[in-house]
Amino acid sequence: MVRALGRLGRYAWSGWAGLTGLCCLAAAWQAGHEAYGSFILPAPLDTARALAALAASPDFLRTAAETTGRALAGFALAALGGSLIGVLAGYSYAAIRAVKPILTVILGVPPIAWIVLALIWFGSGGGTAIATVLIAALPIAFAGAVEGVATRDRSLEAMARAFGAGPLRRFRSVVLPHLVSHLFPAWTTTLGTAFKVAVMAELLSNAGGIGGALAVARANLDVADAMAWVVLVVGLLLAFEYGVLHPVREELERWRAAGVPWGVKR
Amino acid sequence: MKLALERVGHAFLGRTVLDDVSLALDAHETVAIVGPSGCGKTTLLAIAAGLFDPLSGRVRRAYARHAAVFQEPRLLPWRTARENIGYGLEVRGVRRRERHAIAGRLAEAVALAPEDLDKFPVELSGGMRQRVAFARALAIDPEVVFFDEPFTALDVGLRRALQDLVIGSARERGYAALFVTHDLLEAVRVAHRVIVMAHRGGRLAGMRAVAEVPGARDERTIWQTAEAWRTGDPLFAHVFDVEGRA
Repeated sequence: MVRALGRLGRYAWSGWAGLTGLCCLAAAWQAGHEAYGSFILPAPLDTARALAALAASPDFLRTAAETTGRALAGFALAALGGSLIGVLAGYSYAAIRAVKPILTVILGVPPIAWIVLALIWFGSGGGTAIATVLIAALPIAFAGAVEGVATRDRSLEAMARAFGAGPLRRFRSVVLPHLVSHLFPAWTTTLGTAFKVAVMAELLSNAGGIGGALAVARANLDVADAMAWVVLVVGLLLAFEYGVLHPVREELERWRAAGVPWGVKR
Repeated sequence: MKLALERVGHAFLGRTVLDDVSLALDAHETVAIVGPSGCGKTTLLAIAAGLFDPLSGRVRRAYARHAAVFQEPRLLPWRTARENIGYGLEVRGVRRRERHAIAGRLAEAVALAPEDLDKFPVELSGGMRQRVAFARALAIDPEVVFFDEPFTALDVGLRRALQDLVIGSARERGYAALFVTHDLLEAVRVAHRVIVMAHRGGRLAGMRAVAEVPGARDERTIWQTAEAWRTGDPLFAHVFDVEGRA
């Protein structure tokens, strides 16, 4: 327990490095603002002020929660469904070959087309956003899971079998821990896609949320507000990725860090 | 009799790997199988260990538990040495507390330092990893142990130490062992008898018993026996013939 807290502390401390990167980005943004003026690119501080003003309004939390809920619901469905089908397919080369072109087709159809279809199927509302996120993000999780299972260490499986482990135990003790290292990068991409597509679907389907707020800001030509909403989406994504996904992964992959010299640890 | 292979044959994609192989392993007996690379000795071991079924013939087992030590340690990289040693026990449903107690005792038996038990495989040296793999095999208190060229990747000194460990533990615990190797010296040191595989066709070429029991032989006798077989015994000629060409 204490050791787990220590690891969490080290992880939090490593956030300073990440913050440095974000500050560099903000500096570049500021430079762009000074070159092109407030109308094209509002200053980071002005954007922060606009965000603070938005946060004070009563609808703010509801708007942010709406988008977050849709993105996370789509992400959960896509990550779970994609990983599950991927694991099953990963055990069979024939299945991989059969499913891969289908995925290429699904990935090849632009999300915007799915939004149009989803609008027809689900009408304008939260369902459209969630369905679009699911379709756009599922193949990514699937590909990660397939890759993970297909690249499992068969010699370890033979070892497990020699010690009498059945198929379920072999999956749990040999395949799953290996799978994690393929699933988490895929899930990170899935999460990013989920937020992007959710906002886009909201904007196009007039379903409220941050996408809806962006549409309003565009109609008013309020660039600072638009930037503020964008910053909010990115902030939410960062919060979920670095606040949830990465700590879980670090904890599951302690064995990987064990072989790395101290100074290099993340 | 602990284990018997009766007229076992196997083929991969139509290529015969084993043909009409019969052998029996008695209790408390270590049998070494030597042969040139690619003669099918690893396949023979895999069939004996039940990793897959032979295409013809049958395998009879008169024991409850077997374990295996492979050429590579094959440790689960995401588990500490302690949890790796307990893997076979975990499969058998032994509780964690007891697994850890057994792992602690075995670490001592295979000369692993107690502090190494909490390390992950990446933090251990090659020799220590192989000790962990050996301890994992001993943990389930096996009646038969399969060794598949277990010490090939180690240097001479380490190999000697681990061979002595095998000889000692086999005598103490009384398990029977099938020991695949292509090192004749190793075979003569650890085994009661040595079975030679033909270099093609997947057949057994013959068998030689080694004088005295493993552990009681002095180094000189071991070396002289191996050398006499290598240079003077036609049964072994092809083993090193092929090895030399490889």
